[in-house]
Amino acid sequence: MTGTSWWGRSGRGPQSESCRLLSVDAESRVFSRLRATIAWETLRFMLSGARLRLALVVLLSAVFWGSLYALFIEGFSFLESIHAEVISLLFNAFFSSLMIMLVFSTAILLYGNMYCSTEAKVLLTLPVRDEAIFAHKFHEAMWFSSWGFILLGSPMLVAYGVVRGSPWTYYLLLLPFMVSFVVIPATLGAICCMAAVAWLGSLRVHALAMLGVVVCAGAAWLGWSLFGSSPAAGGTTEWFEQVLARLSIAEQKFLPSWWLSSGLLDAAQNSTQPETRFASLLEAVKFLAVLVSNGMLLQLLARWLARSCYRQGYSQLVGEMPARRQRRIAWTDEFLSAAGTARGRPLRLLLVKDLRLFRRDIAQWSQFVIFFGLLGLYFFNLRVFNYNVAYASMISFLNLAVAGLILSTFTTRFVYPMISLEGRRFWILGLLPVHRDQILWSKFLFSFLGGVVPCCALLYLSDSMLGISQSLIWVHEICCVVLCMGLSGIAVGLGARMPDLRESSPAKIAAGFGGTLCLVLSSLFIMAVVVIAATPTHLAMATRAFGGGGPPPTGILGWASGPQGTAASLLLVGFLGVIATFLPLELGLRAFRRLEP
Amino acid sequence: MIEFDHVTRTYGPKPAVTDLSLSIPRGELFALLGPNGAGKTTTIKMLVGLLRPSRGAVRICGYDLTKEARSAHLHTGYVPDEPTLYDKLTGREFLWFIADMFGMPRHMATQKIGREIEHFELAEFCDDLTESYSLGMKQRLVFAAALLHDPDVLVLDEPMVGLDPRSVRIVKDLLRTRTQEGMTVFMSTHTLAMAEEMADRVGIMVRGQLRFLGTIAELRDHMALETTNLENLYLELTTAGPDAS
Repeated sequence: MTGTSWWGRSGRGPQSESCRLLSVDAESRVFSRLRATIAWETLRFMLSGARLRLALVVLLSAVFWGSLYALFIEGFSFLESIHAEVISLLFNAFFSSLMIMLVFSTAILLYGNMYCSTEAKVLLTLPVRDEAIFAHKFHEAMWFSSWGFILLGSPMLVAYGVVRGSPWTYYLLLLPFMVSFVVIPATLGAICCMAAVAWLGSLRVHALAMLGVVVCAGAAWLGWSLFGSSPAAGGTTEWFEQVLARLSIAEQKFLPSWWLSSGLLDAAQNSTQPETRFASLLEAVKFLAVLVSNGMLLQLLARWLARSCYRQGYSQLVGEMPARRQRRIAWTDEFLSAAGTARGRPLRLLLVKDLRLFRRDIAQWSQFVIFFGLLGLYFFNLRVFNYNVAYASMISFLNLAVAGLILSTFTTRFVYPMISLEGRRFWILGLLPVHRDQILWSKFLFSFLGGVVPCCALLYLSDSMLGISQSLIWVHEICCVVLCMGLSGIAVGLGARMPDLRESSPAKIAAGFGGTLCLVLSSLFIMAVVVIAATPTHLAMATRAFGGGGPPPTGILGWASGPQGTAASLLLVGFLGVIATFLPLELGLRAFRRLEP
Repeated sequence: MIEFDHVTRTYGPKPAVTDLSLSIPRGELFALLGPNGAGKTTTIKMLVGLLRPSRGAVRICGYDLTKEARSAHLHTGYVPDEPTLYDKLTGREFLWFIADMFGMPRHMATQKIGREIEHFELAEFCDDLTESYSLGMKQRLVFAAALLHDPDVLVLDEPMVGLDPRSVRIVKDLLRTRTQEGMTVFMSTHTLAMAEEMADRVGIMVRGQLRFLGTIAELRDHMALETTNLENLYLELTTAGPDAS
């Protein structure tokens, strides 16, 4: 490679014989090449070493995109037939809530990238402008915080164009509209992040917590006013109109979400008159210009802020006192350490250690709380709608699957890497008078107990809101316990069978082949459990619905849709749970006994 | 080349470095010694612009680190205590990135990258991704990157950690040669033998204050002890009360 540049292409000749400070453009080019090289190397690695993961990501994204597209086609067709103006309200509500989320997500990502990463520490010692470092990190943060919007928003907007029969210019303008919109909340997030670090000092945590509380309270109030306090019955036309009337709060002309919605709606106009079509296109372009110009203005402001206070903020942050010290032992730790027999004490102590690490790792518990909290919120709002028995039963089983899938992402992301991380610290555990099996069992118990309590509680909430019968609630709870056992067994077993002892990042461990396999097996296990458990119930409902009041079915159909069928399905679910729990655990235990770190 | 002008840095109410005044001329190898928590890392971070002084000024080649950080960085090479690299770049790509950041002309960059690869014996692995490197390999690459632009000032934070004896010898020889050519080296270390062997002057920090500044011979005279062993002198100085100096 000697003689070519590090990104593998020839450059221009020398301008001077010594080192020199780069121009703004040159700095930007060097960072662009850095990002391109890293992206290329990452893609190359995935194509050569993580094909399963890449294939899964592409496949699932395509399925997700296609499903959303089909859903939106149906939705927009329905809305067009009722009231076309509703779409403007929905667009405004969607984009304005998205804008708030983008502000927060970019601010959080930038805080990590600009102030806590080791890369920032290196870049700040190079002769490069502070605002160039900011721009480099901003690109990353904006991409990471907005790819979800592209994935979610593109099928929605394409579907809208198809339903409206929009001209080709609409599709051409989609990407510029989405990108120029995303820049605004992302830059606002960046400005808030840098200002909070530089000017709020150690008060920023309190300020952000207060802001978080205010936003949550606002969201709760909005949610309640939209869905909770409606005098009309849920799901009726009157209720729907009341909700739409309240959504008009999002239609504020000073908000970028309104500029985006209005621009898109103008661009999508399909008039037979060329003059009208041209006028709509012109309006759309004007809205795009407003978005672009505001985005650029905010970027200027953010770069000025980076120049003025990024380094100052970094210095303040690095210079802050070390994190708080734990002053006392939690009562749960004390209880777990002391309770039980002396023989089981090592296992309990390992459990206490993992519990402490979980409590002190904000990434773990915050994601746990956010995801299960959102799930709880969704379950809680199920009561708004009136369901028939079959529909309620179907939703309840889907909720079981959703709870299982969310748990599987946690077991893959946090439990699967635990053994690999423990392997790196094996000099601690390896020298203790503890049997290796106990280490693995402690991980299993930690995962199982941590998952089973919130999942069972959430499912009970879901079933209560749906008005499910007591017997079906028991079926769900048994399935939930089996799911928690199986998912914990898969994650702990595979984690011990395929440890990555060189990697220190749990995210990277989970993203490898073993982690992907863990996620795939977990998903298959969840689907199998839910389908097996749901079959007898839905067979019974189907026979009742199509039987026309005749005699109950006999033979295998009668047996399968009766209590015997339910008992058999639960037995099968239990058997599947035992296989999913103990087979990977046994494989993991064998590998872990032989492990040579 | 390096100047600390009445520099104080506090962490909250706690002073980490107090009224540090120090001037290091061109071509000198200066070793900063001190026990854990003495303020060495804070001093190094201020010298490379990661921390700003609460009071006073730090200058490299006359450039104030607070006001003219980019110009100061153009003359500085830095080897941190923990080598930080881009996992998804090869060693050679990383060296090109650094060369580009310092605005080096292409022919000069090609020549100097080749030179550093040879000096630090990186040829065998420099086209592999750095994520596959051992600690010692990473440290050698970081040294190569820090010296690539022939800095006037080289700042080293515990430079020998992770290096094998052969690499340590390479680094020592290189430091000698470069300081003879006029490069100034500011090194923080716990390895007293290294300081004794390499340093023109040493500074000993205790609780944020520079307790001693001078040559090893001056330290022996200063302490007026029977012993001539640097370890004993160091322990005597760093464990004594504030009035020991």
